[in-house]
Amino acid sequence: MAYPYLAKDFDEKYDSGWVTVPNSLWDNEQAKGLYQEYIDQLAYADGLGFDGSVLNEHHQNIYGLMPSPNLIAAALTQRTTRGKIVILGNLLPLHLNPMRMAEEYAMLDQMSNGRLIAGFAPGGGPETFNYDVPSATSREKFWEAVDLIVRAWTEDGPFAHEGRYYPLRYVNPWPKPLQKPLPPIWIPGSRSASTLVEVAKRGFSYFLSSRSHGGETHKAQQQFAEILAQHGDSYQPSRFGILMSAYVSDSDRQAREECEEGVWYFLKNCLKGHLRREGRQLTFGPGVPYIPAPAWREYLKGYKPGRPLLGDVANWEELDASQSIIVGSPETVYRRIWKIVEQSKAGNLLIQFHIGNLPAELTRKSTALFARKVAPALRDDSLRFFEKHFAVAAKEREAGALP
Amino acid sequence: MSGRLLEVNQRKVWILEDGNGPPLLYLHGFADVHSVKENWLPFHERLFSHARVIAPAHPGCAQTEENWDVGSIEDVVFHYLEVVDALALKEFDLVGACVGGWIAAEIAVRHPEKIRKLALVGAAGLFVEGAPIGDVFMMAQPERGATYVGLRSMLFSHADLPKAVEFFPDGRGEIEDELRRYQMLRFSSRIGFQPPYFYNRSLKNRLHRILAPTLVVWGEDDHMVPLSHGETYARSIPKAQGIKIIKQAGHSVHVEAPDLASPIVSDFLTDR
Repeated sequence: MAYPYLAKDFDEKYDSGWVTVPNSLWDNEQAKGLYQEYIDQLAYADGLGFDGSVLNEHHQNIYGLMPSPNLIAAALTQRTTRGKIVILGNLLPLHLNPMRMAEEYAMLDQMSNGRLIAGFAPGGGPETFNYDVPSATSREKFWEAVDLIVRAWTEDGPFAHEGRYYPLRYVNPWPKPLQKPLPPIWIPGSRSASTLVEVAKRGFSYFLSSRSHGGETHKAQQQFAEILAQHGDSYQPSRFGILMSAYVSDSDRQAREECEEGVWYFLKNCLKGHLRREGRQLTFGPGVPYIPAPAWREYLKGYKPGRPLLGDVANWEELDASQSIIVGSPETVYRRIWKIVEQSKAGNLLIQFHIGNLPAELTRKSTALFARKVAPALRDDSLRFFEKHFAVAAKEREAGALP
Repeated sequence: MSGRLLEVNQRKVWILEDGNGPPLLYLHGFADVHSVKENWLPFHERLFSHARVIAPAHPGCAQTEENWDVGSIEDVVFHYLEVVDALALKEFDLVGACVGGWIAAEIAVRHPEKIRKLALVGAAGLFVEGAPIGDVFMMAQPERGATYVGLRSMLFSHADLPKAVEFFPDGRGEIEDELRRYQMLRFSSRIGFQPPYFYNRSLKNRLHRILAPTLVVWGEDDHMVPLSHGETYARSIPKAQGIKIIKQAGHSVHVEAPDLASPIVSDFLTDR
């Protein structure tokens, strides 16, 4: 849900697409109807048979115009009837009282007739600056909030919560979620072992927020599987999700021609301040010191200063190699995503179809082509593949939990 | 180097101690011993001839154990009251730079009887309307890959000053130096990332409680804690001896101009 109306010289003129990007650039004339269009696109995708729509929370940026994904989710409860509504996720440390999120999610679960997938995240560097979230305590605060919400959903209230960050005398949400014992919970992360452990301990699903795929994605899956095993659990594809962008058209050449402007807009503008070395890197660095010092020492050992990030790719070939934005004919897109699925064993593919300033009609065309010509084969093949490798997957097929 | 771990209320505190004379407790800032350098800076060494300089590393800095209970300046002050007791200091000189200066002022308003003389160098801690303390955390995020021009500009008079580049190099410096810088940012984020941003609105009206003769030292071009903060300290502390402004120096005046800053402090402490 990017802001698509930036001038061509944005990258030259501005340091960042996040936090300090001047909001005088917002143009009401052009942006009139923008939210309606984005909601329409999501409802359209639901009609095409996607398993769900994914929303996320970001603040003060041009990358994602959803400071409150719950508002868009509320709209979707009224515009869709079948697909899941995935919010990935509410950024808990940004809110004064996590019970507000417990309440809103419960409302959304009721309003959608039990279609909510509840995601929670601690927020990244930009949000840390936007909302004054002290990094050193944000993880501890985050998990206290998650556990409080789970308890509020699964235990009868009123009860008192004697927490360090959110002491509350009367925990008693009205309503509770419709799904029992509680909606599925997804947690995004960028391969930090401590997050994987916390997710495994609680039986949640993990979503890898990295946008590039290859060996690292495979390693993340292996690591998650090992950690699950250490916690007496076993890896299932439904517990793991990955993120990518895709654009499909009739031929490889046409696909690239149609989406190239949108792709560069996304890489150069939307990722500036987040996944680019140009400007100021807000997402990760010593100014948001959320990992303890010993972990930072380990990070420093492998740190290559100034290494290019996704938004720094110099040309289309480098972009292709990153396996981040998959562009081509239905056959090409199928083949390339299938390779990622095989390697990552991820059961949940989160695919961004609207890329940067991609025109609405092209977004719909690509989304529809994907639904008709790519998704069916991906579904069938991944089911066969997962059934062969994971015992429980067959049961999940009956339950319809896999894509 | 003569470092040691001091046991303080069941936590380990890393301490450097050197010199001869009355005890002087030094509380560090960002460009400083413990927060970048493992060892003393020339600024400190020049004080050794007439003071026993004791420099503890803040909680979570250098080899001092991290303390998850630190969430406010009050917690830091109590931590240092324990340190002072563990060192059996009854009366001592207190010198602090930047965040260390803030902690020093907060200790002095609570226990004026313990402080013989107080020196504040580019001290944070005050709220001065229209003159906010700079956001060191935003500046500590890498620019253009891995340069720290913004951070150096904030902490020094100029980003390209050799000392500034030595303390905060572009790219990745020595891992142990990088780690100390990170630890200092992590510690200070606990008391200054969220509002109040390195200040305590109540501090100004408490400064009159300080009994000790006080020296206020500031860099003329302080880009982190504006000069007006130093002027406010100098105006509000009863026995403050005005403000010593060091020309052409920035926030880290003790690093940029030790030849000037160190004698000013030692002359003050020895009544020369």
